[in-house]
Amino acid sequence: MKNRMHTALVATVGFLILAATACTDTVLEPKSTITGANVFNDAGSYKAFLAKIYAGLAVSGQQGPHGQPDIQGIDEGFSQYLRLLWEAETLPTDEAVIGWGDVGLPEMNTQLWAETNSFVVAMYYRIFYQVALVNEFLRETTPEKLAERGATSALQAEVEQYRAEARFLRAFSYWHAIDLFGAVPLVTEDFQPGSTPPEQATRQELYSFVVSELTDIQSRLPTPGPNAYGRATGPAASMLLAKLYMNAEVYTGSPNWPSALSAVEGVIGSGSYSLASNYRLNFMANNNTSPELIFVVPQDGLRTQTWGGMTFLVHASCGGSMSNSEYGIDGCWWGLRLKPEAYRRFSAGDGRDDYFYMDGQNVEVAAIGNWNDGIAAPKFTNKTSTGQSGSHATHVDTDFPIFRLADAYLTYAEAVLRGGGGSRAQALAYVNALRQRAFGGTSGDITDAQLTLSFILDERGRELLWEGHRRTDLIRYGLFTGGTYIWAWKGGVAAGQSTESFRDLYPLPASELITNPNLTQNPGY
Amino acid sequence: MSRVGSLILVLGALLLGATRAQAQTGTIAGRVMDAASRQPISGVQISVGDRGALSQGNGSFVVAGVPAGTQTLEARMIGYATITQQVTVAAGQTATVELAMAVAAVGLSEIVVTAYGQQRAGNITGSVKQVTPAEFNKGRIVSPEELLTSKVAGVQIVENNEPGGGTSIRIRGATSVNASSEPLVVIDGMPAGGLSDGRNPLNFINPNDIESITVLKDASAAALYGANSANGVILITTKSGRGAHALEYSGSISASVIDRLPDMLDAGQFRAAVQSYAPQNVGQLASASTNWFDQVDRTGVGQEHNLALSGSTESQDYRISLGYLDQRGVIQGTRLRRLSLGLNYDQRFFDDQLDIDVSVKASRADNFYTPGGVVSNAAQFGPTQPVMDQGSPTGFYEWPNNTLQSADNPLAILELARDEGLTNRSVGRLQAEYDLPWVTGLKAHMRLGYDLANAQRETFSPRQLHSQLKSGGGGNLYRRNPSALNTVLETFVNYAAPLNMLPGRVDFTGGYSWSQNHAEYPWFSASGLSTDLLDVYGVPGAQTTQNQQDIQESRLISFFGRLNYNIDDKYLLGVSARRDGSSRFGESNAWGVFPAVSVAWRISEESFFGEGTPFSDLKLRASWGKTGNQAFDNYRQYSTYLVGTSTAQAQFGQDFVATIRPSASDPGIRWEETTSWDVGADFGLFDQRVSGSLDWYKKDTQDMIFTVPVAAGTNLSNYLTTNIGSMKNTGIELSLGGELIRGQAGGLSWDAIFNAAHNSNELVSINPFAGESDQILTGLVSGGVGTYIQVLTPGQPINSFFVYQHKRNPDGSPVWADTNGDGTINEQDLYVDRDGDGIITVADRRAFQDPSPDWIIGHTSNMTYGSFDLNFTLRAYLGSYVYNNVASNLGTYSEVTRASPYNLHASVLETGFETPQYLSDYYVEDASFLRMDNITLGYRFNYRGREARVFGTVQSAFTISGYSGVDPTAGLNGLDNNIYPRSRTFTGGLSLWF
Repeated sequence: MKNRMHTALVATVGFLILAATACTDTVLEPKSTITGANVFNDAGSYKAFLAKIYAGLAVSGQQGPHGQPDIQGIDEGFSQYLRLLWEAETLPTDEAVIGWGDVGLPEMNTQLWAETNSFVVAMYYRIFYQVALVNEFLRETTPEKLAERGATSALQAEVEQYRAEARFLRAFSYWHAIDLFGAVPLVTEDFQPGSTPPEQATRQELYSFVVSELTDIQSRLPTPGPNAYGRATGPAASMLLAKLYMNAEVYTGSPNWPSALSAVEGVIGSGSYSLASNYRLNFMANNNTSPELIFVVPQDGLRTQTWGGMTFLVHASCGGSMSNSEYGIDGCWWGLRLKPEAYRRFSAGDGRDDYFYMDGQNVEVAAIGNWNDGIAAPKFTNKTSTGQSGSHATHVDTDFPIFRLADAYLTYAEAVLRGGGGSRAQALAYVNALRQRAFGGTSGDITDAQLTLSFILDERGRELLWEGHRRTDLIRYGLFTGGTYIWAWKGGVAAGQSTESFRDLYPLPASELITNPNLTQNPGY
Repeated sequence: MSRVGSLILVLGALLLGATRAQAQTGTIAGRVMDAASRQPISGVQISVGDRGALSQGNGSFVVAGVPAGTQTLEARMIGYATITQQVTVAAGQTATVELAMAVAAVGLSEIVVTAYGQQRAGNITGSVKQVTPAEFNKGRIVSPEELLTSKVAGVQIVENNEPGGGTSIRIRGATSVNASSEPLVVIDGMPAGGLSDGRNPLNFINPNDIESITVLKDASAAALYGANSANGVILITTKSGRGAHALEYSGSISASVIDRLPDMLDAGQFRAAVQSYAPQNVGQLASASTNWFDQVDRTGVGQEHNLALSGSTESQDYRISLGYLDQRGVIQGTRLRRLSLGLNYDQRFFDDQLDIDVSVKASRADNFYTPGGVVSNAAQFGPTQPVMDQGSPTGFYEWPNNTLQSADNPLAILELARDEGLTNRSVGRLQAEYDLPWVTGLKAHMRLGYDLANAQRETFSPRQLHSQLKSGGGGNLYRRNPSALNTVLETFVNYAAPLNMLPGRVDFTGGYSWSQNHAEYPWFSASGLSTDLLDVYGVPGAQTTQNQQDIQESRLISFFGRLNYNIDDKYLLGVSARRDGSSRFGESNAWGVFPAVSVAWRISEESFFGEGTPFSDLKLRASWGKTGNQAFDNYRQYSTYLVGTSTAQAQFGQDFVATIRPSASDPGIRWEETTSWDVGADFGLFDQRVSGSLDWYKKDTQDMIFTVPVAAGTNLSNYLTTNIGSMKNTGIELSLGGELIRGQAGGLSWDAIFNAAHNSNELVSINPFAGESDQILTGLVSGGVGTYIQVLTPGQPINSFFVYQHKRNPDGSPVWADTNGDGTINEQDLYVDRDGDGIITVADRRAFQDPSPDWIIGHTSNMTYGSFDLNFTLRAYLGSYVYNNVASNLGTYSEVTRASPYNLHASVLETGFETPQYLSDYYVEDASFLRMDNITLGYRFNYRGREARVFGTVQSAFTISGYSGVDPTAGLNGLDNNIYPRSRTFTGGLSLWF
């Protein structure tokens, strides 16, 4: 009896061991996560993916205002594209200081950054994050792949336009790379992710690539209009081309002002834009209604939230005795003020400095960390032109104007003065159009004799203050480094001192030189 | 043994002996048991002349083919006195003997639970330490890990000071940066999952139910757990019934008080600071004198009651236990209430040949947390301000200017906000062990287990809360309900080959293991609440709500085998291998093999080992093995797309579009591999009165799971988690135990245990291209935004502090002066220009010290005198460093210039800093300490014929340290930032048996 029992038990044990060991399948696919295998089964994924590339300029990750960051190695709020770009273009110039002591940030005020500076590093990675996204988008949306997935012809046409927009955004970021870092790798959709590190391209190669890309896609981009708000349009591509051409001497060694002039003529001649009668409208919570904006990074208090971008610009410009509610926000961050040179550039009667906040503020910046040193400049506000607050007190509705018509006007004038052709009278007319808006009449008009290159630089400093152009402009004029033009805190001392010319370019990140041995650091670093 | 069984064995024995002339031989059969416990002993080597056998699980043995006549039978077992007995055997007959063996050396005979089996301590070839209840830490113990603190050399246990809070364990240092460095915990054979949501996942085990804890330290001991073993393994065995039916009650009550608090300015000092540095803020100051920590702390009262019913009969053991624990923390709001149930039942059939064992543990823990911000705001809130304000809507005083830059009244947070949860968990397993008939020594095991956990966590910040008002949050409710089910199936066989097959004894274990985990993480959040009235219990109308679900699954399939070879307890060899397949590994790396080899030589058994030495036992060991670590996220090998939330949309014309983001992936991801060497010796001195072990080890981790920067543009983020980089740990460990005073019955006796361990960790490389310039910042601290105080860089221990060298005044205080005479005081004046380029930039930071102690030293003494017993445990760290973040963040006069002034850390009185110097090495403090972890006095007495005991314990009785912050054991990473204060706990308790 027991023997039979044992036989049965042994048989059972044997069976169970065999049955169990037969199971050797270790594959478990994700369930609540979308994978590359199924994402494009939903035709809406193409738009959602393109939207992510746009969002890469506006937010810092997949969970607004923070969470699931796109890039790592830096505080997420700090890592937002627009915030980094604005800081890189503005803080080391004569326009602004930021008072916070966060590691690496003080050096941005003085041009004394190191190659490990986390703001410089993050800017570099933000640029290439956009590039990688675009490349992946282009790889996943080839006509062959769409046909394979059985896309309708309507969808194929729509995606064709998306592809042009994606390429605009890649060109836009490569422009920043050329401008800020110089020679970087040129990574396109032909590069397979995860393969060996890419080679370094020259600044000239990058320039040519961006120009040819923009020329190629221009006609396929959406036309300006309400359905293209926040998106890349044909005139936006022209404006970006103008930016490249007008700085061509810096980027490639040989100027190209005629092309700059014709590109900017394309923008102005599109007829899609006109100056907003109220200068301030361009910087307010309802600036989406301004007729002047060519390309913007849209922000929204409820739907596009970030701790960078305009949330940063509006909050950081507020402090001291300023009342946050006057700017439609919940509090002040006590960060950004003007350097004295920027404040003094405005003359009496010029309405473009009406928003400056003087109460308790000193013109001179004796100590960068002291909020009261430096005039406050709450240029961007979360109030609408009719005095309404934005939809959210922390995350603002104000969109950032990347390109606007006034910039095109000033570009035209500079191109004329630098021998790019065009009409000097037209240039004067464009400049005075801006002056008349600024002075509320003709009292600020300039004469033809006053229309000089140095006037244009100053006028750009007034009209486009804190709009993220200053560093590029100063470099084009040869004034950013060196001792020709000294401003407060340049070179790390309160009075300012000469800096070395290699600081016209930011260093490639130290971490990047390690992971990509093909790279050579910019000279001087 | 049944007659049929013996018949089979006899037949088998006869077959083996068939070549011999049958008529002249007989058989000796019998049973071996422990003389004291009367429990059968297995694996005893019985020899009669050149014939031999091993005793089986039930203690039985059969030696066949014994020549007729009077023979000498010898029974040998490590740690027991060898028995030599004359047995007379008649030809063709079976002589029966009963052997009772007496323990000669406890340290060698002790049965140690090991991976998929057990071994006598004396025969262990790896680095293994078992701790039993007599050695456990005493006092208020909420989580099982606390039992082990200071008891095992090379095991660092770091608590977070909150009752039942998270615990970190490091066995011989950390092996990973981005995968876990926590050891695998196996409870009664079941690998424990980690779900609890907020508190220690092991809280479900009542520490009173634990019979033993074994720590497998080296690769040879742990490698049988393959891809989960690189950080060592902790095996917890729960108590089963033993002896007569008994009911045991034990209970205690405790009171905890705060050991130390941050050193903040008092009202007078604070007012003076505001007057000097922020005169514009003086108008905001009130005339109160409030110690905010006094307002939020308390004496944490606790009670604990345990009942256990246990017993055993010839074929059954059982133990049922019920526990209740209620422990309050020293900060108001913190509380843990736990109800736990344990059941172990063992039933044996067929004369113990089939053994079925069931173990079920279940618990419910109600977790109450101190809402976020209470401790930090108690530090920041101005001591001149009152607690209450009749005029405010909540009744609590808040700073008048409702700006972002003002502290929140911590008492208002305690009163209005809420943070609580509960965890239900049950772990159970059914295990069958079957001595297969017909093949002596072959045993089959099958184990089926589950681990089911269901947790809940809710936080509620009402609209009225100051932090919500100032940020415009409008109130927030957050709820998550993670749940997980882990199922395990394991089958394995164990074969102890009969003697005489080889010179020596062979023991083989081989099997298969399958485990799968399914977890769900749903969460819900609502902000901008329409009302506060529903508290955490309901969902009012809300401006934004978010609702998400995440399902995570993993599977691990393994084949494993181990062979132990033992020649006369003198030459010992262990070889093992495990092949693991995991759902976390990429397709091209689906399976990994983890081999290990260990050898030991009991040199004291050699004839040349002189009698004159003090060594009563000396065993030399060496081991090598590869272990794996797969404690990283699921689905890393898949290219996935993450959908953005409704708050991260992109404007697209007039619409807003929710985005999808492709994620960086590594299709070839696989385990981390640690290759370990261990050389050691186990020794006994003076007839085993002193025993101990000494180990040297080296662990090389390759292919670390490491989130590292990748070349820009080559993947879909700037960091990729991949197998890259290597790390090294080397160390030595010494354990000593001895009877210092061996008293007569009732006299004074004193046993002492001492252990010391040194580990040195080095990150060898991050990126194969890079030299030492490669660095990844880590250690985010408070102060500024994105301030990282630590670094991962080749050649340094991980998480080394990464700071400027602060110039010092002659008295050692940090310089605060305009040393370069440019009119301002900034970093150019204060720090040493280490790279000599004339300016201070981040390039002048350097790796300086690290949080891991160079040495961890533990000492335990047990003394008894008459009915009294006294027991204490001391712990010391040498060379551990802590970054005092409370001082660095609030030790600057700039904090009073905020819109509403923050209180300052008293270090500012010494430093005079007017701007924060977060990256100064001044804040990296030597946190070496000596602490009386616990001291217990007990008294035994007779209660109704059974022994009873009363005791009193003080935990954290004192700490001697030069560290100026709250606690020198400030977390594993040495960052002291408003950590939960350590408590000194006084416990009184009673144990009774009925």
